[in-house]
Amino acid sequence: MGKIDRVGRIRTLHGDMGVWHKYTFGLAGERFFRALAEKGVLLASRCEACRKTYLPPKVYCPACFAELTVWAELPPRGYVETYTFLYEDLEENRLTEPVAVAFITFPGVDGGLVHRLGEVRPEEVCSGLEVEAVLAAERSGGLQDILYFRPSRE
Amino acid sequence: MKPENARGVPLKDEDLKTGKVLTTEWRVKADYAWDCGIAIGRYLDGLKEGKIMATRCRRCRRTVVPPRVFCEWCFKPMDEWVEVRDTGRVNTFSVSFYSWDMTPLEKPEVPAIVEIDGCSPGVGFMHLLGEVGDNLEEILRRVKVGMKVRAVWKPADQRTGAITDILYFKPEEE
Repeated sequence: MGKIDRVGRIRTLHGDMGVWHKYTFGLAGERFFRALAEKGVLLASRCEACRKTYLPPKVYCPACFAELTVWAELPPRGYVETYTFLYEDLEENRLTEPVAVAFITFPGVDGGLVHRLGEVRPEEVCSGLEVEAVLAAERSGGLQDILYFRPSRE
Repeated sequence: MKPENARGVPLKDEDLKTGKVLTTEWRVKADYAWDCGIAIGRYLDGLKEGKIMATRCRRCRRTVVPPRVFCEWCFKPMDEWVEVRDTGRVNTFSVSFYSWDMTPLEKPEVPAIVEIDGCSPGVGFMHLLGEVGDNLEEILRRVKVGMKVRAVWKPADQRTGAITDILYFKPEEE
């Protein structure tokens, strides 16, 4: 039997696993993204018994399992709860500019959204920063309809 | 208090295609390179040259394909390489109306385990049978367990050193 003495000739098989998926948003997600696409608003659902307002919305209250029938439209303005900076993309390529990603919460709402921050210098980013969504001109119903959040101008 | 559609929402393929419901898509980048190891590496090199290479264990008097670097009976290194023939016999087969990626097929495929001539009894590998008919009736009439088959190779300049360098096995006259 041969030893490995010609490392350059080690044979490898190359392939690409055809792993892909199409995800539907569900009843509440569907309403949320349609409202975002059509009206540019954020939709939340409320449980009066538990005094909780869910964003992203839910069809059931996770605390008491009641069906949620109270829905509210909110302007896409909130606050940076916490944030981080990304220096690499999903394929580990170095980014020319770091990207700020934040968890954004909204007044009177439980939950929030994770999204990119834009039009902001890195040193400006802080917890509590008031931000507003910059919406895409052409919206298709998805989180990409919000391009990013930027410091509020109002 | 039962919500509308509490038992779920039936969705058809066309509902997704026509945008009746919103969707998000993701294609995972899952490129890979698999190191074939010593034995399979040499096996694939052999296929590129139009040869089926096997290994032999002299203690167990066994010749195996695909080749391995050690004998799984006695755990000793395999003693030698031998070229076996590109003919064999059908050990078992199936008729599949789906390709490997679940695409429905007009013309069914016939995957089979082929025992390779020159190897120990029962030793061989899985491949496709070809020239055995276009529909189930023809295939079942022509393909029999134990029938003799011969490899049909890709033209030499198109071989890449892969099991697909053999296109399929076709029936061989006894």
